Amino acid sequence: MNGWLLAATVGLAGGLGAALWGVATGPLRRRVVAQNLSTALACPSLLLLSQAYNRPSYVDLGLVLALLGPVGTLVFARLLADELAEDPPRAWGLTWTVAGLGAAAVTALCVATGPSRAMVKLLVIGALLISGNAIASRALSGGFRGVRGG
Amino acid sequence: MTRRTRLWVLLTGGAGLAALLVAACLRLPHFGGDRHPYGDRAVHASLTRHTANTVSSVNFDQRAFDTLGEMTILFAAVLGCVVLLRQTRDERRARPEPAEVARPVRRYALLVLPVALLSGLYIVAHGQLSPGGGFQGGVVAATALHLLYLGADYAALERVRPVGMYEVGDALASSAYVVTGIAGLIGGTAFLANTLLPYGTFNTLSSGGTVPLLNAAIGMEVACAVVVLLARFLDQAVEIEEESGR
Amino acid sequence: MADAVIVVALLLVAASATVAVATRDPMRQALVLSVLGVVLAVLFTVLQAPDVGLSQLAVCSALTPLLLMLAVRKVRRRGREREGER
Repeated sequence: MNGWLLAATVGLAGGLGAALWGVATGPLRRRVVAQNLSTALACPSLLLLSQAYNRPSYVDLGLVLALLGPVGTLVFARLLADELAEDPPRAWGLTWTVAGLGAAAVTALCVATGPSRAMVKLLVIGALLISGNAIASRALSGGFRGVRGG
Repeated sequence: MTRRTRLWVLLTGGAGLAALLVAACLRLPHFGGDRHPYGDRAVHASLTRHTANTVSSVNFDQRAFDTLGEMTILFAAVLGCVVLLRQTRDERRARPEPAEVARPVRRYALLVLPVALLSGLYIVAHGQLSPGGGFQGGVVAATALHLLYLGADYAALERVRPVGMYEVGDALASSAYVVTGIAGLIGGTAFLANTLLPYGTFNTLSSGGTVPLLNAAIGMEVACAVVVLLARFLDQAVEIEEESGR
Repeated sequence: MADAVIVVALLLVAASATVAVATRDPMRQALVLSVLGVVLAVLFTVLQAPDVGLSQLAVCSALTPLLLMLAVRKVRRRGREREGER
């Protein structure tokens, strides 16, 4: 039992639980935002788990999620563009909060890892995660306005 | 048989199955115990062959024949989809409409595409060292290519994706896997035996004998197969429409 | 303590699978399936199976939603064209 495992558990239970509730209920704009934030919350949890189990190779999972999670949200943003245009989601506060949590987790992990190639990898994953999250939110709230049936 | 009779047969069968399952589950070893006879042997075999990732060793060395079967399944599934989703006589192909995507999204897609492709290749190349391998890396690389569709429009993707080449690549990669197996036969041992190449130094990129080669073949096969599959789906959803006024 | 993470992951998987079955509209179901994929990948990681978790992430984060949404769009467009002709 260590602090990393506790942090990962809390992040999973609270973050992914809230995301699941958001994607299950409510109007479409809440559901897509919840799907976007689920990947943004799961990635830091996976990185924390890699530190908790002391297996640096698990960081690859965080890398793939940071790369492909925003792609998944972009799929929904593009193919649901018509329905979202009527009722665009506005959740910038939530997006930046989750981005801040991700940045905090990545910073803590970098401090624990110390200067090395592993730290550079963590920083790259953090940058991909936060930028991907922000761009996906931008795409959800009106990024595909000129898309008709494409 | 009436509906009632069928329900009674189902309930009887289900009750018998439930009784057997409960009796079997009570005798299973405890969850998360210490005794793993198969795991011990698999890890020992993988360490003898200098493969750091035991899962890759099991997939591409100890059970390489099963992976050949899985690759054939994927190939056949994509083949079936291509046949089902082809353009028929009463359909015509319309040009995909150009899309107007917000600038930040377009820039992000074009920037992340090479990074994701590189990550896919990295995961394929390090399959014998860290979690990953041919399948995972191939899917990541193929999905990365479709950022071009998501960030720009379908016409842009079509320009960099000549589907014929990807179909050829799929077939070539599948053949490469089989040829590597036949090389084991010619070398005097068995089909897909990992005795031809030197095992190399543990935990380096060139270790594990034929595992990196088979990894690369599966990676290329999966990437090409996924691109071809998505190409058919996208064609049907974006381009092909029925002839109006038939 | 390691068990607590496993319990949390299992509960999340059970809840998301139930939500996926209970959602009727295919487009909303695709959203839930995306979350289910991520939660499953976390479960596999927590059970010390990162290879399977990586496969799950690769397939379920972008590929499956794309295939589902394209299929739903094609079926809906066909339905609308037929209604337009009538």
